[in-house]
Amino acid sequence: MSSLALAWRNLVRQKRRSFLMIAVVTFGFAAFALAGGFIAQSFEGLREGTIKSVGDLQIVDRRAVGKAEEATLEYGLPDARRARALAAADPDVAAVLPRIDFVGLMTTGAKSVPFLGVGVDPGPEAAATLVPELIVSGKYLAGDGGDGVVLGTGLAAALNVKPGDRVTMMATTPDGSLNALDGIVTGLADVRIKELNDRYVAAGVGLVSRLLQSGDTVSKLVVFLKPGADEDRAAERLAKAMAAGGYPIVVRHWRELATFYEQVKLLYVGIFGFVGAVLVVIVILSAAIVMTMAVTERTREIGTLRAIGTRPSGIRTMFLAEGVVIALAGCVAGTILALIVRAALNASGIMLPPPPGATHGMPINVKLYPLAYGAGLLAMVLTMAIASYFPARRAARMPIVEALAHV
Amino acid sequence: MTAAIAGPLVEARSLSRSYRLGESVVPAVRDVSLAIAPGEFVALRGPSGSGKTTLLNLLGLLDRPDEGSVRVGGRDGEALTEEERSDLRRDRFGFVFQTFNLIPVLSAEENVAYPMALAGASAARRRERARELLAAVGLSVKLGVRPDLLSGGQRQRVAIARALANAPSIVFADEPTANLDSHTAEEILDLMRRINAERGVAFLFATHDALVVSRARRVVTLHDGAIASDAAA
Repeated sequence: MSSLALAWRNLVRQKRRSFLMIAVVTFGFAAFALAGGFIAQSFEGLREGTIKSVGDLQIVDRRAVGKAEEATLEYGLPDARRARALAAADPDVAAVLPRIDFVGLMTTGAKSVPFLGVGVDPGPEAAATLVPELIVSGKYLAGDGGDGVVLGTGLAAALNVKPGDRVTMMATTPDGSLNALDGIVTGLADVRIKELNDRYVAAGVGLVSRLLQSGDTVSKLVVFLKPGADEDRAAERLAKAMAAGGYPIVVRHWRELATFYEQVKLLYVGIFGFVGAVLVVIVILSAAIVMTMAVTERTREIGTLRAIGTRPSGIRTMFLAEGVVIALAGCVAGTILALIVRAALNASGIMLPPPPGATHGMPINVKLYPLAYGAGLLAMVLTMAIASYFPARRAARMPIVEALAHV
Repeated sequence: MTAAIAGPLVEARSLSRSYRLGESVVPAVRDVSLAIAPGEFVALRGPSGSGKTTLLNLLGLLDRPDEGSVRVGGRDGEALTEEERSDLRRDRFGFVFQTFNLIPVLSAEENVAYPMALAGASAARRRERARELLAAVGLSVKLGVRPDLLSGGQRQRVAIARALANAPSIVFADEPTANLDSHTAEEILDLMRRINAERGVAFLFATHDALVVSRARRVVTLHDGAIASDAAA
């Protein structure tokens, strides 16, 4: 008769109490697994969204790191077509998108509003990023973009324009003079960060280069890698290839560029950690009470077991085993519960409120995240072992004669 | 059969043990020296509070004395750790209690097999010996029955079989007949006498049952925690 088998028999004997304790572990485990799955899904969504926006890697002029440009394209990449071809030759690169960041003033004659603009190569940009999905009215830029511009809905509302309307963009050129060009609104995008939505303008690099009179210079090259590519190695190769091509550049990773991602991740980890700690405390307290009751009720039995030769360590093991058996049974039931609740939640279509800075919520989607289940199992087994330890130690240290005389 | 041991199985030397009762200290055993030889059938008798159970507990290494020592097979019990004392009880001693003290979640066979599992016996060996011992106490048909479905006499028989599981040299029995009717008590005593005669296992009873005393071959009388008399019956 092993300690585990004896533990199981004792748990079966105390059906109601064991059921209650297993129920506590079941709900604790399920909460752990579901919260873990939800957070994993959120991280993945956030990561994908971030990469869709900033790319896996960005190639920028070395001088641009940590500095703000005082003049338009002060730290731009000249001879961008050749640089783009060099980067695109890497076997792990799926797409290289030129971007020109610029600021200016947009006017319809009656009203003028400052904007944050981005010059893009519309075809590859549409294929690699989420921007086309954000179009709520009209169309995204087609071909090389021509004279078309896409405005954030906030900016369009401020200017009172709609697709098909003509707008004038004014911006300073790299030599400091002011230039203006007309564009035609092709579509309106609902950019999900409100402050950006009120200022957003996208146009083809051709139109933007003409406005800025910047020739073949861009602000950066945004690189998208093929699925499964090693980001670090690709970055290393790109840096070497570009340096060999005479470009004084650095390759930046998406994590360096998306500080928001790390902040949100930290926030989620903090929330998850707090909820997890509360769960662990609840399980520890409940289990400690139940195990203490079990030790008290079985005092005479403990005395008998000690009298007939069970070592103190054997008594300790027996009660620890009971805690572990409860944890294992609770985790099995908790897995089933978590899977049922997950399926119900994912089918419910419940919309979550938008995260900070975003304008749209998203439907709840709890991922099946094995690591959360594994962590839940480990947490529950450790929690029950900790909760059982002190009652088990008390049982093991009980004077035999007093235990035998217990009524 | 129990292995032959030269000298006393258990020997008490100047044992004293007191208990605290509120503000006062009550002496339970006072300067007792006693030796139990292999194969003896000894009754410790005396009125309630005379120290019978305390002495039995000290000799059975269930408790530690305030003064004096208990030697088991020549080893000083007070010098041993709790783990070593547990092993000594498991291998050398058997215990029978007034309230039977069987493990409620185990069947009769599993109760008897349990001390053998503690000693590391194989499952086959445990099963074989548990069945042999339960047959010896007349309970072959109750192997898989849990204690709560057994009568008092049957429970005490299972307890006796359990006490013999690891072939002890001595069985300590604290008021083994106190919870039994007189007919069953007589049967249990007959069983113990038979085991004593056939297997050479010594028995030491703490009792104030006249029937047990009448069956003993040696009677030690305690009075106020001290030995008042020690004589062959």
